This record gives sequence, structure tokens and C-alpha cells, in this order.
Amino acid sequence: MLPPPDDDPPPVLGTWPRVYGFVIVYLAALIGAFYAFTVHFAP
Amino acid sequence: MRTFDWVVLFAWLIFLVSYGLWRGRDSSSVNQFLLAGKTMPWYAMGLSIMATQASAITFISTTGQSYTDGMRFVQFYFGLPLAMVVLSATAVPIFHRAKVYTAYEYLEHRFDAKTRALVTIVFLISRGLGAGLALAAPAIVLSVILGWPFRVTILIMGGLVVWFTTMGGIKAVTWADVQQMIVIMAALVLAAIIAVASLPRDISFLDAVHIAGAAGRLNAVTTHFDWNDRFNLWSGLIGGMFLALAYFGTDQSQVQRYLTGRSIAQSRLSLLFNATAKVPVQFFILFLGAMVFVFFVFVRPPLLFHPLEMEAVKARPEYNAIQQQFDHAFDARQQAARANDGAGFRAAQKELDAARLSAIQLAGDNDTNYIFLYFVTHYLPVGVVGLVVGVIFTAAMSAISGEINSLATVTVIDIYRRHFHPDAPDRHYLIASRLATAFWGVYAAAFASFAKGFGALIVAVNQVGSLFYGGMLGVFVLAFFVKRVGANGAFLGVLAGEAAIFAAAKFTKIAFLWYNVIGCVVVVAVGLAVSVVEKRPRQAPV
Repeated sequence: MLPPPDDDPPPVLGTWPRVYGFVIVYLAALIGAFYAFTVHFAP
Repeated sequence: MRTFDWVVLFAWLIFLVSYGLWRGRDSSSVNQFLLAGKTMPWYAMGLSIMATQASAITFISTTGQSYTDGMRFVQFYFGLPLAMVVLSATAVPIFHRAKVYTAYEYLEHRFDAKTRALVTIVFLISRGLGAGLALAAPAIVLSVILGWPFRVTILIMGGLVVWFTTMGGIKAVTWADVQQMIVIMAALVLAAIIAVASLPRDISFLDAVHIAGAAGRLNAVTTHFDWNDRFNLWSGLIGGMFLALAYFGTDQSQVQRYLTGRSIAQSRLSLLFNATAKVPVQFFILFLGAMVFVFFVFVRPPLLFHPLEMEAVKARPEYNAIQQQFDHAFDARQQAARANDGAGFRAAQKELDAARLSAIQLAGDNDTNYIFLYFVTHYLPVGVVGLVVGVIFTAAMSAISGEINSLATVTVIDIYRRHFHPDAPDRHYLIASRLATAFWGVYAAAFASFAKGFGALIVAVNQVGSLFYGGMLGVFVLAFFVKRVGANGAFLGVLAGEAAIFAAAKFTKIAFLWYNVIGCVVVVAVGLAVSVVEKRPRQAPV
């Protein structure tokens, strides 16, 4: 079945669930990087 | 500020207002005025959403928070990307396909008129208070920095906002936000470069970062759990996600932005842009505050950054002793920083904090919101000072214009058109929208002129929102995900949710981020309970 005409695919990664997955992985990576930053420069 | 700074400030103000008016010149129908004719590209909506949220208070207060408390405030935003994903998958397509002007219109489709009316009233109260605070907060600080009377500052800001929002509608607001966001980020990057470049020659950038770390200012992630702690990983991820779900999913000031998108995909991209950009941007702003802290390790800061409070404290008999303690601690801290003596640095910092606390107690108010602007006005080059103060000024205007635009939309669509004048021609509603915009602008200015005396202003604004957002989020969760709950369950759920939030605020010390979770859970639980009771078969009369 064709998707509704107003629901275009995302410009990257093919499907919206993949884009959502990317955002969640990106957030986890950011928090991990900030945690490492905090630990490295802790007093 | 010097003459050239004033020239830059006024040139920026004139440019931004003119640009917004030019962009919004064809707002000649209700659809154009309130939803930009649904023509907006994702990047304009995305930057506008960021600009509305990142008001002047953010830049003034966040850098100051980092200076005094470190970077842990960044955790407040950790739940935002998760919320954006949820909203992109749910609220965006639902609102678009329902072809609504406001989020609350959808509640009548799903439940009934009384639920829509109740949530509309909750929104008008919460956002009405928020709009006043969003105007008052930066006006208090800018009036001191610019040397203008507080009410004159309110009048100038409020007057410009009313004029350009009334004339140009959401198109003017959105496109002005795009310029605003680009210039403010450039100005903050410039401020960060100057802060680091102004350090003594023997202090490298990495040394500066180590000094900020030694002072506990780089505590970006704190993993311990405490209900009463406002900012830690868990309150940020869970409480922050609920707050962001409520703010971006149920607050018309945000929903209206992505309803202007030309398609569902464009609206989704605007939210996902914020999901990826917001946390790094906030991290950078807080890091700038930490670098300002390091700058003042080597350049003697005033005892208090608020110039008027400083003068008041100087007149007190305790002043000399406090100033001596502060000077001694400053010298010891600087020596410890140069000698790479971590223990000595922390001891001196403790003494310096104690001296500042004594002064703040004498003054009666903290000076967190003046730290960054003190740095800007005293140490940035001429012209850059005018630009930074100008963009902070217009950041305040941008946040307020978005808010009064959404308040006007809800007033006209959810109250006036729904209950008083349902079948008028388009031009009638356009005029009503312009009048409602002017009304809310005047109201915000009037409220703001009585709203002096908040501490860390950003927290105050978020706290007001958190008193109401949990209930609003709960009813939309019921609408989207719980088909069995009907109108009575939703209505009683909102009332119970709001009662629970106010009880939590009054009788417990639970941090405000958790109010959103509490309110939402209570609305859903009560909604489900009512639906069970309603569907129970009634006994036949004996």
C-alpha cells in the first residue's frame, strides 16, 4: 500500500524509524562523551 | 557601553524588526497570520523553535549558572532528543492530518468541548504567566546594564514586540528568529574566543579547562539519584523528557511552529534538528560560562557583579572585612592556579565563595544573571559589546513574540471562534487575531512591570511551566494512546493531575522536573479509573 501523500520519506537513512534510531544512538554517544569529559577533568 | 556600541545595538534592532516585517508582509489571511500558510521549511522552523526556547534568559542565566554551579545544568536537556523522537512519530502526523490551528482543537475532535476548554484555560494561565516572566527577566538585567529605568526597558521591548508580531504574524516571528539564532551563536562563539584569548600568555586553553575542572565547573554529568536534586542524569533523562514532551507536544507556542511546516516531513525534520543540536549548543553555552569563570581567576572580578547591589553593599559596615576576605582568597586562588596546586585552589575557592555569599546575603539577591553581561560590557571590544547586548535584547523579544502569537491564536481559535463567533468571514478572524496579539503583548508588559525579584530566572520560568505541563501532557497521552478513555475521564484526569502537582509543590521538596512526570501519571491513572467506572454495567433498579 502506498503511504499517505503527505508523509514523505526522510532525506537521509531511508525511513523515519532509522532516523529516530540514529537520534537515540547519537544522544547516548553525547552523554557518554560528556561523562568521560566530566570524569577526566574532575577535581 | 560606548557610542559605537549603541549604534550597533540600534542598527541590529532596526534590522531585525524590519526584516521580520518584510518577511511577514503578506500575512493577509488567518492561515497566513497564524500558520504562515503552511509554507515553512524545516530549517526555519527548527531555528525558530530553538530561538523561542533559548530566550535571553538562557544566555544570561545559563552562563552565570555555569560560573557559580558548573555545567550540570546541561543534563536538564538530555530528555529533549527522546521527546523529539516520540513527538515526530506521534504528535506531528496527528496534528497535521487533523488540520488544526491549535493543539487544543484536536482535543475536541478526540474528547469533547469541555476538555478542550479546560486545557485551553490551563494553557492561557501558564503561558500568560510565562510571557510576563520572559519579558521581565531579561528586562531586569538589561535595564541595569543599559542604565535605563526598568519600566522604560519593558516599554521599548514590549512595544517593538507588539508592533512587529501584530503586523507580521508568525512569519515575521519565525524568520526574525532565524536571523536571531544565527547571530547569537556567532556572538557567543566570539565571546568564548575572546575569553580564552584574554587569558595570561602562560595559560593555554587546556590549562584553562583543567582549572575549570579543578574548580568543579565541568561537572556535566552527575549520576547519583536524588529526588530533591534538580539536575542529574536521571532527572534530566526522565523529568527532562516529560517536560520536553509537554513543552513541544502540548504548548501552543511550540506546536504552532511545526504546524507551519509545508509537510509532515518538514515538521519532523525541524524537531529532529533540535534533537541533535540543542544539547551540544547548551553544552557550549555552559562551557562559555566555565571559561568566563577561568578568565576571572586571573582578572580580579568585583565582589558582586550586580553594579547597584555592589554599591549598596559598599555602604554597609561589614563591607571592608568581606572585601578583604575576597581579595585574599582571589590572590591565593590565582597563585594556586599558577602553581598547579589543586588542594590550595579549592581551599581558596571555598573562601572566595564564602565571601561572595556574605555579600549576596547583605544585598538580599544573587547576582548570577549579571556575570556574563559584566564580562561582555567590561572586556569585549567596542562594537562586539553592542552586538552581544543587542542580540540578548532581541532574544528576549523573540521569545515573547512567539508566546504572545500563540496566546493570540488560542484566544481567537479556541475561545472566540469556538464559543462566541463561529461563522465570521476570514477577515474578521484576522482582525481579531491582530487585536488579540496586541492585547497579550500589553498584558505581558503590564505583568512584567510588577515581576521583579526572581533569583535564577530560567529556573523560575521552567518552574511555572512545570506546574501546568504535567496535566496537559497527560491529557494528550490519553488522546493519542488510550482509546478506551472518554471525555469524562480526560476532564477529571486533568483536574486530578493539576491537584497532584500543586500538592507536590506545596507539601514536598521534590525537584520541579518531576512535577511533569507526577501530573502526567495521575491524569492517565484517573482517566483509566473513570473509564472503568463508566463502562461498568449499571444494576437494574429494584
